[in-house]
Amino acid sequence: MNCPELRDHYELYALGLAENPERDEIRAHLDRGCEVCMLEMKRARELAALLGGSSASAAPSPKLRRRILASVGVEQRAFGWAPLLAGTTAMFLAAAIYFGGREWDFSRQVVRLTEQSRVQIIELTRLNEAVQLMNGADTTVTSFGEKKPVPKGKLYYNPAKGALLIASNLPPAPAGKAYEFWYIPKAKGASPARAGMFQSQSDGTVMQMIPGPIDANTTAAIAVTLENETGVDAPTSTPVIVAPLAPAIQ
Amino acid sequence: MFLLPILLALRATEADAALIVRLQRREPQALADLYDRYGRLAYALILRVVRDTGIAEDLVQETFLRVWNRVQGFDAQKGAIGPWLLAVARNRAIDYIRSAGGRERNTVEFEETGHPSLYTDMEPDILASDKARIVKAAVEKLSSHQRQVIELAYFEGLSQTEMAERMGQPLGTVKTWVRAALKTLRDELGAQAVSV
Repeated sequence: MNCPELRDHYELYALGLAENPERDEIRAHLDRGCEVCMLEMKRARELAALLGGSSASAAPSPKLRRRILASVGVEQRAFGWAPLLAGTTAMFLAAAIYFGGREWDFSRQVVRLTEQSRVQIIELTRLNEAVQLMNGADTTVTSFGEKKPVPKGKLYYNPAKGALLIASNLPPAPAGKAYEFWYIPKAKGASPARAGMFQSQSDGTVMQMIPGPIDANTTAAIAVTLENETGVDAPTSTPVIVAPLAPAIQ
Repeated sequence: MFLLPILLALRATEADAALIVRLQRREPQALADLYDRYGRLAYALILRVVRDTGIAEDLVQETFLRVWNRVQGFDAQKGAIGPWLLAVARNRAIDYIRSAGGRERNTVEFEETGHPSLYTDMEPDILASDKARIVKAAVEKLSSHQRQVIELAYFEGLSQTEMAERMGQPLGTVKTWVRAALKTLRDELGAQAVSV
């Protein structure tokens, strides 16, 4: 089919209503970069976006924002957090069964269990990502701070998945402060680039990922500085951690 | 109330390109900013589909994590990330109700949102301008049947065959309503809302 024959089907495609053979034809046109179809589909998707924006107003709970941020590691959790949550969940479940005759209490427990489970799933997902990085075929590891009193630990680096910092003796940041990751470039004169904020635990431990690809050809190391909790565009203090990236052996 | 979620996004669209760059640099605060801009909009859309606040929040979380994990494919210079995020949100919601209802997922549609590059080159204020009022006016011009098929398609993800079964109408009649509804929307929005 040529583009004029598909004219009446772009909106149907954008809404998921297109049927074959037109659906496959549009897909084929898009796959080969047909400019006419790309333009028409852009218009059709704009129409779909406008329909999506027409939903009546509704506000999620304030907890949702924290949940989403926690799932990418903004809110740091303790190492043994997942098993602890599992135990807590089991305890709540037992309590719910024990008080099974009290329907109102039971309902409240179920709600709390559901919330606990959601948070647990998020944390387990984060831990799973960390384990996957550590077990990646291209992952290398470097140690830092071994001859110094604080801090020390290891940096796991995977070119495709990112980096995972595991450290101890990193004191909790003072009020209003937080630790900030930096990509330290290889090029002389180049400025470090921000790589995310984190907090250490009260016991001085930290396990924090920098998700996403990192190019060892341009990045020499990952550094950590203590900054204002809102973050800064350039380091303002001496790094407390500098962990060089160890490229995978070819 | 109809326009509130769109107006909430109004102030933010100009900085979408910068936000995309920060997301691609994996700055967690960028995800917070993205949520502040589009969280309510995505939640309202998903809630309209699944009609359960708990499930809607779970799906909003999945939506933002999907965007976070796939934003590397987005062209920041051409980016209008709102339409893509809404498409992901809609597909997550429809995928959920399809699964809950034992219906097959629309794989083609689902794959579409995995390619954010297909959502570039849109007007940066697509979700934030007076077009919202134009959309409302356009939808109100549809007949009740036309409005119903558009809502069943967009908010429930029904195929035309499924709509015919749901409404107890011949498939040909449903197709006629769908085409007429889209033509009306196209005509009403064409000059202003979807112009290039």
